[in-house]
Amino acid sequence: MKLHRVYAIILRHFFLLRRSYEHMMHLFYWVSLDLVLWGITSTYFQNISGTSQNLVFMIISGVLFWNIVQRTQLEINIGVLEELWNKNLVNLFVSPLKIKELTTALTLMGFVKATISLIVGSIVAFILYKTNISIYSYHILAFIALLMLTGVWVGFFISSFLVRFGTRAEIIAWSFVWILTPFSAVYFPLSALPQWAQFIAKFIPTSYIFEEARNLLFNGIIDYKALGISLVLNIILIIIMQNFFYYSFKKVLEKGLVKVY
Amino acid sequence: MSILKVTNLTKTFGSGKKAFTAVDNISFGLKEGEILGLLGPNGAGKTTTIQMLLGVLTPTFGEISFFGKLFEKHREEILEKVNFSSTYTNLPWHLTARENLIYTSYLYDIPDRDKRVNEMIVQFRLEKLKNQALNDLSAGQLTRVNLAKAFINKPQVLLLDEPTASLDPETAHFIREYILDQRTEQNISIIFTSHNMYEVEDICDRVLIIKEGKILADDIPSNLSKTIKTSTVSFYFDDANQESFIDYCIEKDILHNLIRKNISVQIPERDIPKFLGGMIKRNIHFIEISIDKPTLHDYFIQMASEDGKDENNRLETII
Repeated sequence: MKLHRVYAIILRHFFLLRRSYEHMMHLFYWVSLDLVLWGITSTYFQNISGTSQNLVFMIISGVLFWNIVQRTQLEINIGVLEELWNKNLVNLFVSPLKIKELTTALTLMGFVKATISLIVGSIVAFILYKTNISIYSYHILAFIALLMLTGVWVGFFISSFLVRFGTRAEIIAWSFVWILTPFSAVYFPLSALPQWAQFIAKFIPTSYIFEEARNLLFNGIIDYKALGISLVLNIILIIIMQNFFYYSFKKVLEKGLVKVY
Repeated sequence: MSILKVTNLTKTFGSGKKAFTAVDNISFGLKEGEILGLLGPNGAGKTTTIQMLLGVLTPTFGEISFFGKLFEKHREEILEKVNFSSTYTNLPWHLTARENLIYTSYLYDIPDRDKRVNEMIVQFRLEKLKNQALNDLSAGQLTRVNLAKAFINKPQVLLLDEPTASLDPETAHFIREYILDQRTEQNISIIFTSHNMYEVEDICDRVLIIKEGKILADDIPSNLSKTIKTSTVSFYFDDANQESFIDYCIEKDILHNLIRKNISVQIPERDIPKFLGGMIKRNIHFIEISIDKPTLHDYFIQMASEDGKDENNRLETII
């Protein structure tokens, strides 16, 4: 792997970000919108139920944390889609660029943009609802890292379809991650899910993170073993999905990269 | 020395009854400093061949070697010294010309990137356009940015797909001169496709004619045109002489092509004096005459229209 080629792709997307208001808007618009919507809803339910402040905090944290997964995944997929929209894949791969250099660059861009989005979201949450996610202390770093890893494998999985089917598969990039939301128990305890869904949730790394975030919030304790399971699951899924993506790319080369857009 | 060697290259799409062989067991080489024209009608297999040479399409069979090294084993090393420009692929259109060149320069192992980017901006006359987003540029300006991108890594092998398409005549001339200069100065080997047969004749040292996935001819352009034995003789007559001339053609069983007062006939070169002598005997006087020797254009039309495959005799070399 050559770092200058990874940097080339980062530079290409940085130039795009600098010139494109819609890309810039992605970083703060959706998270702010979700915070307003879910914040008002949770505040209303908290008021009528008379429960503690933790209900609003739990929902707001859920929005901020889920945004990390979504942002990381979307940035990887938008990075691939940008090349499809611009019909630029051929120009990239007639250079010495390797597929793993492209994925590394897009993953790093995903991490950076997810972090920016989290910072913006945290400020909005503090201003609107006086919620401060630093209450999670240093544990938040583990949560963020694990959530980003989930975003990476979901991003690779969706990218496999994007390179295979081109922009026809674009809808998956915007919608697929939402399938994971209920199984991740983002806004409610895992026990609220039906048994069969709880079983599926065992294989979803994010379910452990959200469960432990709530555990920390409500009980002041955290089960590191659960976070370890999340890490192992994430690593396994990243390896599988990355290889699936490379396989899809290899298959596309049999048809010709020119035909993908 | 052969800088590129293609051996038994084959590409078949699909399988079973639906299998279609786009490139059928072709072999050719490209010498150092040579400009090779790749010509053929639509669907001939030129695009497929170029894609395989660039590694964006996997061959079904055969070998590609650049600089004596197998492409599939030395892709990264080879592509450092190869580049490509096509009218039919885009660069990121939100980025400026300069930004496109900057990020592209990082895809290659270039010692002084800033210097090289600035050189390309000057050499392709992009000074006034460098800070404009590509979606604000004309087709011709985009072609110049595309070419600047293609030359940025000082390639030893360059694949150019219709580099002068959509350029005004002056810029097209500038690009042709630039390509020839680079060949002389840097000894670049180039594979070149173009709609413009006169351009191909002008700058290509050798031409490969591809049809239905097979190489039909591999020769220098003048040799290919010499395979056509007839020349085109065009006349301009007044009304009375025109009528006599048509009668003369009918008598001699020579096909003529009449456009207003211009008549052209195809005659073997050695028979032209005899044909003109016959006109004098019949007292047929022309106002103007021109004799055109067969060109690569004529060869291409003849080749493309053989077997009635190209009914319109169109010169289409889009890849």
